[in-house]
Amino acid sequence: MLFNSFHFLVFFPVVTTLYFLLPHRFRWGLLLAASCYFYMAFIPKYILILFITITVDYFAGIGLEATQGRKKKWILLASILANVGMLGFFKYFNFANENIAAFANFIDWNYPIENLSIILPIGLSFHTFQSLSYTIEVYRGHQKAERHYGYLALYVLFYPQLVAGPIERPQNILHQLHEEHRFEYQRVTDGLKWMAWGMFKKVVIADRMALFVNPIYDSPTGHDGPALVFATLAFAIQIYCDFSGYSDIAFGSAQVMGIRLMKNFQHPYFAKSISEFWRRWHISLSTWFRDYVYIPLGGNRAGVRRVILNLLITFLLSGLWHGANWTFAIWGGLHGLFVALNHFIEPRWIRLRESGFAKRFSPALDALSLLSTVGLVCFAWIFFRASTLSDAFYITTHLFSGWTTFVSQFFRLTQEGIRAGFWGFVSGLFASLNSITELTRSEIALSVIALIFLLYIEIKQHRGDFLARFNLKQPAIRHVSYSLLIVIILALGTLYTGVEQAFIYFQF
Amino acid sequence: MTEKNDFLKFLKSSIAVAALIALTIAAIFIATPPDEKHLYQASLLKSELLRAVPSPRIIVVGGSNVAFGIDSELMEQELGIPVINDGLHVALGIAPLNEIKHYLRPGDIVIISLEYYNFTDEASFYGQPQYLADWVEFSPERIWYLHEPYKQMPSIFTMMLERKVNRQLNYYLYGFSYEAGRNFYSGDLFNEHGDFIGHLGENSNKQFEIADSVYPINLIEDAYVFLEDFNQFALSNGATVFYEAQAHRQTNCERTGKKHLDRFFNRLKTKTTIPLLTNLDQLCLPDDYFYDTPYHLNAAGRRIRTERLIDSLKIALGLE
Repeated sequence: MLFNSFHFLVFFPVVTTLYFLLPHRFRWGLLLAASCYFYMAFIPKYILILFITITVDYFAGIGLEATQGRKKKWILLASILANVGMLGFFKYFNFANENIAAFANFIDWNYPIENLSIILPIGLSFHTFQSLSYTIEVYRGHQKAERHYGYLALYVLFYPQLVAGPIERPQNILHQLHEEHRFEYQRVTDGLKWMAWGMFKKVVIADRMALFVNPIYDSPTGHDGPALVFATLAFAIQIYCDFSGYSDIAFGSAQVMGIRLMKNFQHPYFAKSISEFWRRWHISLSTWFRDYVYIPLGGNRAGVRRVILNLLITFLLSGLWHGANWTFAIWGGLHGLFVALNHFIEPRWIRLRESGFAKRFSPALDALSLLSTVGLVCFAWIFFRASTLSDAFYITTHLFSGWTTFVSQFFRLTQEGIRAGFWGFVSGLFASLNSITELTRSEIALSVIALIFLLYIEIKQHRGDFLARFNLKQPAIRHVSYSLLIVIILALGTLYTGVEQAFIYFQF
Repeated sequence: MTEKNDFLKFLKSSIAVAALIALTIAAIFIATPPDEKHLYQASLLKSELLRAVPSPRIIVVGGSNVAFGIDSELMEQELGIPVINDGLHVALGIAPLNEIKHYLRPGDIVIISLEYYNFTDEASFYGQPQYLADWVEFSPERIWYLHEPYKQMPSIFTMMLERKVNRQLNYYLYGFSYEAGRNFYSGDLFNEHGDFIGHLGENSNKQFEIADSVYPINLIEDAYVFLEDFNQFALSNGATVFYEAQAHRQTNCERTGKKHLDRFFNRLKTKTTIPLLTNLDQLCLPDDYFYDTPYHLNAAGRRIRTERLIDSLKIALGLE
């Protein structure tokens, strides 16, 4: 079930109302049944995969708590193999097979194994990692084994974060699922506000950006630098609004029921270094890799070469976690490289910033840091979004082509327009954009207005607790604001184009 | 504050917000009427014809291949039966057929001429929601002619709201005019029978480059079930149903492949009991007979197609 569907519009209030009407002892059952229904709206039979891993992890958790030494390690290994094995089979079998077949073809070996015709279970990477975190934390002694099968199943299946995270830790969630949560006006309404804001980011901004991005990225070879650059910038906005929008809806819908999920995003495009970007982007995944891969590999404690290697391994795995395609591996590899470079540059940069001379140019240097970070992130997004490696290479090698024509046309058309007055200027502006997009004027205008609004709210949120301050305003102002936000979501979405957009991260 | 008080406070706020939303949306709907020259404006004329023209009458229904490609006046003269051209746009799918059901009377003759495109998938057959939203905007009770009215209602009305807002914004941004997006597809260019005539007369000299596209034919099973149900409904009401092939452009026929076209008509013959009017040897018309798309006939093509249809009908109805 998609959050941005009418199906969910009925599902959510029904489940939430029943949740508060039922006595506490029955609520886990309701949430588990609702979560199963939510998941089964995609491909029903795949729910069995989840229950297989939950059952393995249930017994593994109890076993881990009851044993010590070598046997304990074997139990952990069995649980990891069961989870990763499922992920490997569904997500990576065909990828590995294709690469072996290509290599076999290269050395003239008649490779006999065909690809399997399987569909990737939705959100498999997310719930696999969430399951893994349970057994690892029990193994480490940070979490007691869950004796109630239903609660463990709910920990993995809890519908707000089932298909696209945040990837939770048992220490944060399991005890909350056990606790009784009463109906609290402020908590419930704050949750609904998060949901509305997430929906705005998804249907008004992300889906609108997709209208611009998809035609260009689906066939990049027909486009020059300006279109490729604008499409890449639009994708950077699209993926942020799509994924953080999803996370806000997940956060809000869980909060309504009294469950506080971790925040997955903290305004990542305000980061002034790549390392800071990763502390703000998809926080639940980056901390997962930090805690369960990077630190066990040795983290920052080893020598320079080993730190670089650890970073590259971690980010390559993170890239492949997203998708079984070399484009994702390169995306991860690039970030690994950027973070490794940053690891060595940042201390020197900070020392430079603290010198008397540089302090005078602090705002300019901040802007430079921010822009260079965004630039590197956007460059890497090319590999994330491109369908194939050849598309990605075409885009990266054509980013600077065609600018002279675009700029001269832009100035010519806008200058001609200015002579005809304000509307002439507007027409000239839109006409110059026609060389990079076929979107209507309303699409372009709405995109610009929505982005300005997003930036305004992001800055407000970045500077402090925007929601808490907004809650202090007069009820009439608040009610009108909520109504307008909902009308904007309904009226300025992109349903009317006939293209229903699933969340990007559902595919992972 | 107790849980009960919290809940009552929440209820009051929710009612206030819901009322404000309803008021705002109502204001948008009232302040943004349909575009008076929108192509679908003609659907009101067609509905009125279905309601008012006395039976027996001939109703030709399909997408724009019917709107552009049938000369109802000529048919009426030759057959002596009133003719309604109920063709409008391929994206409406079979929604106009459901509307016809509502007005069908004994003695009526329905000629269905859907585009192959309608048979590619369910959305193309039952109608594409964004276009249905425009169609319903002109006459809200049409929501009941959709495939699954209750299920589609929320999305159709949301799309309608979005399309109204976008249309209005484009109106301002294109210099206070709808003309830029309309081209010659204007709702006031239909004659009193419902034929589109904007491509005749002076406009007929315009030259367009037409894509040599393949006609997509996917043969969805539901389509034949629906058509046969429609046929049985018509028969039980004393009406007769025929099927007429869409206007085919020779180049597009060739690109699609005769094999696929034959397969489509064989399937239609075996899965339904609807008689086919088209002579399969004359399935494809020369490229010169087409106007701006592989579906839209020009004046000469329209005349040839109508004459052939008249001949077939005379035989089928025993008028010769």
